[in-house]
Amino acid sequence: MKITYNWLKDFVDIKISPRELADKLTMAGLEVVSLEEKSGDFVLEIEITSNRPDWLSLSGIAREVAAITNAKLKVENYKPTKKIKNRSSLKIEIENKKDCSLYAARIINGVKVGPSPEWLSKRLELVGCRSVNNLVDITNYVLFELGEPLHAFDLDKLIQDKIFVRRGKLGEKILTIDGIERTLSRNILVIADRERSVAIAGVMGGSNTEVGFTTKNILLEAAVFNPVLVRRGRQELGLQSEASYRFERGVDTGIAEKASSRAVELISEICGGSEILYKVNGSVKPKAREIILNLPDLTRILGVNISAIKVKQILSKLGFIVKERSKNVFSVGIPSFRQDVNLPEDLIEEIARIFGYEHIPISLPKVLPKVNIRERRDLVSNIKNILIGLGLNEAITYSLTDSKILNDLNPAFGAIEIMNPLSQEQGFLRTTLLPGLIRAIAHNLNQKLEYAALFEIGNVFLRINNTPHEELRLGIALSGTKKMLLNEAAFKDELGLLNLKGIIEALFTRLGIKNYEFINQAHGFKVDICLNKEPVGLISTLDSALLDKFNIKNKDVFTLEVSLEKILTLANLGKRYVPLPRYPGITRDISFILKQENSVKDLLSVLQEKGRPLLRSLEITDYYKGRQIPAGYRGLTLSCTYGSSERTLTEEEIIPVHKLICSMLTELFSAKIR
Amino acid sequence: MDINIILAEIDLEINNINSPENLEQFRLKYLGRKGIVAQLTATIPTLSQGERASFGQQVNALKNKLSLLLEEKQRGNSANNSPRESASFDIGMPGIVQELGHLHPLTQVTEEICTIFNRMGFSIVEGPEIESEYNNFTGLNIPLEHPSREAFDTFYLKDYSKMLLRSHTSPVQVRAMKDRKVPLAIIVPGRVYRPDAVDASHSFMFHQVEGFMVDKGIRFSDLKGVLEEFSKAIFGKDIKMRFRPHFFPFTEPSAEVDISCIICKGIGCSVCGRKGWLEILGSGMIHPNVFNHVGINSKEYTGFAFGMGVERIAMLKYGINDIRLFFENDLRFLRQF
Repeated sequence: MKITYNWLKDFVDIKISPRELADKLTMAGLEVVSLEEKSGDFVLEIEITSNRPDWLSLSGIAREVAAITNAKLKVENYKPTKKIKNRSSLKIEIENKKDCSLYAARIINGVKVGPSPEWLSKRLELVGCRSVNNLVDITNYVLFELGEPLHAFDLDKLIQDKIFVRRGKLGEKILTIDGIERTLSRNILVIADRERSVAIAGVMGGSNTEVGFTTKNILLEAAVFNPVLVRRGRQELGLQSEASYRFERGVDTGIAEKASSRAVELISEICGGSEILYKVNGSVKPKAREIILNLPDLTRILGVNISAIKVKQILSKLGFIVKERSKNVFSVGIPSFRQDVNLPEDLIEEIARIFGYEHIPISLPKVLPKVNIRERRDLVSNIKNILIGLGLNEAITYSLTDSKILNDLNPAFGAIEIMNPLSQEQGFLRTTLLPGLIRAIAHNLNQKLEYAALFEIGNVFLRINNTPHEELRLGIALSGTKKMLLNEAAFKDELGLLNLKGIIEALFTRLGIKNYEFINQAHGFKVDICLNKEPVGLISTLDSALLDKFNIKNKDVFTLEVSLEKILTLANLGKRYVPLPRYPGITRDISFILKQENSVKDLLSVLQEKGRPLLRSLEITDYYKGRQIPAGYRGLTLSCTYGSSERTLTEEEIIPVHKLICSMLTELFSAKIR
Repeated sequence: MDINIILAEIDLEINNINSPENLEQFRLKYLGRKGIVAQLTATIPTLSQGERASFGQQVNALKNKLSLLLEEKQRGNSANNSPRESASFDIGMPGIVQELGHLHPLTQVTEEICTIFNRMGFSIVEGPEIESEYNNFTGLNIPLEHPSREAFDTFYLKDYSKMLLRSHTSPVQVRAMKDRKVPLAIIVPGRVYRPDAVDASHSFMFHQVEGFMVDKGIRFSDLKGVLEEFSKAIFGKDIKMRFRPHFFPFTEPSAEVDISCIICKGIGCSVCGRKGWLEILGSGMIHPNVFNHVGINSKEYTGFAFGMGVERIAMLKYGINDIRLFFENDLRFLRQF
């Protein structure tokens, strides 16, 4: 909300500069977001929190200024007006008192509508309100002064016997003063005469009864409408105004009549005319409320002692009625404009605010020594560190995505839909991490990067037994050729499925996970990652149709997705020392060619078994395809290390077992030794 | 040839060598394919069975000595910084290493925040991203039809009534206070969602860290103390702090916390909007209504709570000006952290 420095001075003696005032207001919870010198005045823009509708007026802010600068409020001095009755007595019918607790109407005859005097239009313009005509400007002026939205109807355009405050009818329409036709409903409160609605209550007037330069007689409305109803109405209509902004936050029932009197005063001064009727329907007096405040509670919550005198002074300045019941116990009367104050804690905040948060000391709580268990989180952070050690970069991608891509990648699951998405692209919760990762890969390839290797650890959202379920997963996507400089050459590695396998193996080894295997699916380049024979994840190559959808050209993309839930429970970081071999081993290499269809995994497990007990380890140390290798074969080098825990082996001792290994290679696996 | 004479000669010869070229000649003379050692070895088969073993040993000894001498001389030469050797090595070449990956900057900042509080004795607790309307709003004293809800616009799920994507990490307060026993000192990192159109400073998905402490005798002054420790730990010892009154439905009294601008040190610049202060978190004393919802007696216990946006802290810390960079996952961006 915008206010001006000089206007504020109408309500309170200010002895400090606009800059100082802005700082003090900010530190009291009225954050001044801008201060500007304009046409001989200063405009302060203040962010008002939603709990303080009483600050949506100059008089409310003046009260605050009086409290924080210990200044005097200028007494509001409006002529008290009596209810006036006359023959053409107007009736006010309120359909439901819950919708409208108070409706005050005045009829003023013989007004002259014209342009506003300069002081009036200037003040309104400084606070961001367009000048319309003197009459409308006066209603707005009073709104800014006192926080009560007023509305003036052209009386001669109304059917004058009765004013109705009722809900809109289905299909009913009204043209509002902004020139837009609005369709009403039962959720919307309207002001109406016998035949039609003439205003959307608390939001905007109708053009059918709008005040203009030809207006002679007016009906001036000052009412209090139900905040929830005004809120629903303006949401349904997508229409917000200074009035609705205040009504939905709560207008002080105690101010409505005062505001109406203030407007009459200004109207007779500026527009002439005389009041001929004043009528009120509804209750004016809100229930008196009292809160008991114990000073020890204040110290218990704030950690500072504030004297009883100071407490009393602060609360009184803010408009509370403070009585001392006994030592350090106050009964505090709550004024009608403070509907937000309901508990002693609310009063304690008021005291702390004015006392100044900066004057509350700094202390540290006693903390009980306690071992903080964060197993799951530590494991996840462990996994992330392993992955970055393997050269992968961590990505964070959106959990919301479109259903099409989810269907392409993960058709088995019905994704959970968002009721109110921002767009279709963010209409569903992801059931797989892959769309985000592949998008990130595509983005990086588009930036002409040679390769990209990304991972994400995050939740996917699944329907399980028709309840929403979150599952923590690891996703990896890689693509391109990784170049690496060596001592005397460069090395190029075209990333592929085996890189993903290697990453998982390294990860599982570090996490102490055993009993895992990789199983080729029957079709395509898809490999299940199984833990204890149960699939927990999938390694795959994206097919060309998918690559097209992500706009990836001339590159393959390899992905991995694995559920971390089981992995986190099976992880075992416990270690057990195995004595180091006391005697050196002897290594013998065998180079051979092997048919493509013969699995290296089978070969290794069979040889390892047969080589016992002297065969210490088996390792593939070279792999090549090329001109020297016949089609359908690959060249491999197998390093066999033999050793014993009892003595150093001699050449003679390893000859038989090495011969056995060689013969098994040729006989069982049709390998040809080179 | 008498091996003992050869042994004596090589000692003399090696001492006179002063260039790598001469050393190579020396090597070829003795150890080359047709060198003296090869010639001696070739004579072995011509010897009698009895002579072979001892002669073989002598040849081997000679060979070992030659290798040793050559090695020593070579080492000496390179230590003398001979021009040939230094020309062959350029330390200006890139070092050879397997590239390390990078943790996402948001992960790094979250971890840093959590670690600071962890060291102060807070436990890390996480909660689900799909939440009930109750935990996200009602339990936190946020009335359903009230303008205060505006700050917490929320994504709702279609097929599950009253279920939503949490709009802040505060629902974990409700969960933890229900499930655990006081005293509590908890820190909650997590993903949150709000239907904000994406631009340089808004994102429909972002990250928060929430913290709270509940015990007998927890005071507003303790909140100030804990947050001051935190700010100094993360932004540096010289940082100034201020607590401004504010409104949050789940705390009373509530405070917004500003730090002196880390760019201009409080003078006023474009980053802090000429204010000299940067807002970094919201905080306050836990509202009695929140305690009532979870069955904690607010006459006996008090507590404080605070929450901050991880993206905001990361943007300030690293000087990032567009929140979208965090979710684009451009490697040229990620590799900077």
